[in-house]
Amino acid sequence: MKLKGGYHKRILDIDLKKGKSKSVDTKNAYALKYIGGRGYGARMLWDSLGSIRSPLDESNILVMASGPLTGLYIPSSGKMTFASISPATGIYADSNVGGSFGVELRQTGYDAVVIRGRAREPSYIWIDDDSVQIKSAKKYVGCVSSKVEHDMKKDLGDEKIKVAATGPAGEKLVNFACITTDWGRNAGRTGMGAIMGSKNLKAIALRGSVDLPVHDLDGMIEAGRRAFEYLRGHDLFRFWQQQGLMSVLDYVNNAGVLPTYNFRDGVFDRADSINGETMLLNYKIGDSACFSCPMACGNVCLVKEGKYAGAVIDGPEYETACMFGSNVGVDKFDAIIRANQLCDDMGIDTISTGNIIAVLIDAYEQGIIKKDDIDGMTPRWGDDEAVMKLIEKIAMRDGVGDILAGGSKVILEKWPNLKPLVSQVKGLEQSAYDARAAITMALEYATADVGAHHNRAWPIAKELEMGLDWPLEKKADLVIYHQTVRPLFDMLSVCRLPWIELGLNEEAYVGMYEAVTGTKTTLKELLERSEAVYNITRMINVKLGIRRADDMPPDPVFDRPIRTGPHAGAAVDREKFRKLLDIYYRKRGWDVETGIPLQKTLNRLGLEGIDVKNELG
Amino acid sequence: MKKLMVIPERCSGCRICELACAADKFHVNNPKKSAIQVMVLYPHPVIRMPIVCRQCKEPKCMENCPTDAIKVRDGIVEIDEDECISCQACVTSCPFGAIFVHRDLQFPFKCDLCEGEPKCVEACPKDAILYVPEETLGQSQRLSSVLSYAHMKEVEYREEGMDKKLRYADMSGSSASRRSQNL
Repeated sequence: MKLKGGYHKRILDIDLKKGKSKSVDTKNAYALKYIGGRGYGARMLWDSLGSIRSPLDESNILVMASGPLTGLYIPSSGKMTFASISPATGIYADSNVGGSFGVELRQTGYDAVVIRGRAREPSYIWIDDDSVQIKSAKKYVGCVSSKVEHDMKKDLGDEKIKVAATGPAGEKLVNFACITTDWGRNAGRTGMGAIMGSKNLKAIALRGSVDLPVHDLDGMIEAGRRAFEYLRGHDLFRFWQQQGLMSVLDYVNNAGVLPTYNFRDGVFDRADSINGETMLLNYKIGDSACFSCPMACGNVCLVKEGKYAGAVIDGPEYETACMFGSNVGVDKFDAIIRANQLCDDMGIDTISTGNIIAVLIDAYEQGIIKKDDIDGMTPRWGDDEAVMKLIEKIAMRDGVGDILAGGSKVILEKWPNLKPLVSQVKGLEQSAYDARAAITMALEYATADVGAHHNRAWPIAKELEMGLDWPLEKKADLVIYHQTVRPLFDMLSVCRLPWIELGLNEEAYVGMYEAVTGTKTTLKELLERSEAVYNITRMINVKLGIRRADDMPPDPVFDRPIRTGPHAGAAVDREKFRKLLDIYYRKRGWDVETGIPLQKTLNRLGLEGIDVKNELG
Repeated sequence: MKKLMVIPERCSGCRICELACAADKFHVNNPKKSAIQVMVLYPHPVIRMPIVCRQCKEPKCMENCPTDAIKVRDGIVEIDEDECISCQACVTSCPFGAIFVHRDLQFPFKCDLCEGEPKCVEACPKDAILYVPEETLGQSQRLSSVLSYAHMKEVEYREEGMDKKLRYADMSGSSASRRSQNL
């Protein structure tokens, strides 16, 4: 099958050590098989894995990849992926970002960029269509990401260029440092900012002008038009524009799975003061959409009075409101905005940061950690000033912040007795959905290829809606379907929210893909390619030492039942989880004892080139 | 004569208008080839504003064109590519920056109102771009001016079993009437 559109068919390969770049052509079969975005990231990492010594070593690579649907006249097409080996987890990682950085990347005429080596001095990459320069970033060192973006636009003389930057935390190699674009859209999770820091790379600036390759423009626009029309006609469309992801907070609180006091409770009694309604009434000053997105889930919020007056951000999203709200016992929305702004500026992930601060408060409240262990601080539940101080300490690796900046793995090495309090998988901190009432969510956290993140599967809503007593077989099917269809969006590089939140049919994307690429396909076929990529990321992780024993949800999911709310008393039963994991592996075609993909599974997915025995021999 | 009216407070910065414009005007998927372009400034000030030609009746671009390539036809400001030398004087003389250039294109380009059916208006999911008779421009300012008028009073009354309110401007209380009494 010959691709007639969808790709520039070339990847930019930049070596920071040598200060050189080259354009590498990609083959038709490569684009067909791995599609783009995370698919490209996974394949490139697999191919480089043998030479990568450790995540923060110069031998690691950072992939930035768009997909065949990025930047097109279809709903929510502003997505792209950063992929690397994570410093927090030591395994495969990718982090997705919206806004319009990915669109600009495609408009430079490359499908993806791979960055190798470490620059001798602080540098930034300036890609201006065909011209690629590695420039000194000395004047930006130590700057917060919003200042880097602001100044770089001035310095390069164009307000419309796109900048992806790390804040001070990336330079300090904080293991969950993020990459910030469009003033506050983050590739948040898994420490991609630290990878930039390790490469002495402060920012990437882009200006692209080329037409995007579309085989059948009218067909694509027609498919897009139908999708736009569907979304704009949806009952919840306006509500979604108003509240965006903040609407999730009430839903999760009512469902009794809102992480509260370090994942102890599932309900926050003061949720009303940190929910979407409060945001709308007192803080929201504008909508913010990613490229080509009618839903505009972003909310621009400003604090108008009080000690945080002047704090303004493109956010917060639900996860941030939970992590800096209920999960640390804070009931002040202005404090959440300020915490979000500090994290964006410093360049650290709000989920990991909030999760870790909650652990620290919890440990201090229980007397496990003393004042002297944490630079004389006395952080209590609801203490917003302590939260701000800890964010800065983490970002600057100051005092106890130096330990916290390592993430869960480093924290547990330092304080092994905190294990019962830490919600993480494989070194990645759990995101803002309680897993104790929904075993499918526990399975997702346990088996997601990047660690305890909800991006691969979000089965919790369905499980709670279906009631808890349906067969484990069906539960495993649901998680695997999510882990297949959701990453497909990351390969096509479009946002999945039109599908999840407003029910745009998956099939719509098949039509778009066909029009763009000029090839015939089916949803089944696209899902198979996504499954293949999931098996590549699994093989990367297996090669890096991941086995069945690592595929476990956070300890508190088993050992510490929910205290309050509709699911009071709920926790996941270990034996039941063991059974579910057996079923999951069997359905995946992975060895039940070890969790390693079977050779016949890889063969079925067209990955004959990967020889399991040989790879692990 | 109808005009494009932009309401920056509603704009989310999604740039669907750019995609719709470029697709219609140049039959490409390229937001950089759009005659309406969204500027996003942040965080001081926070503003998102689509920039598009206002079809001025006394166009600066026309005034500054050295070859008289810019003409107004049926209220639409047009660049005549036969006369244009692409010196881009119009681009820099437009007070709004609403004439654009692109490296692939020989001539500057601008909004032509899509033969009376602007594609950006249709495409905008936030109703931030409107196409309205020019006489209605300023209407919302006029309305808010009226509604925010000081010393409005209320009379509560019942009509067909419903509680209702009637608002009116109190002549004796207004600053204007007080001023006249002082004279």
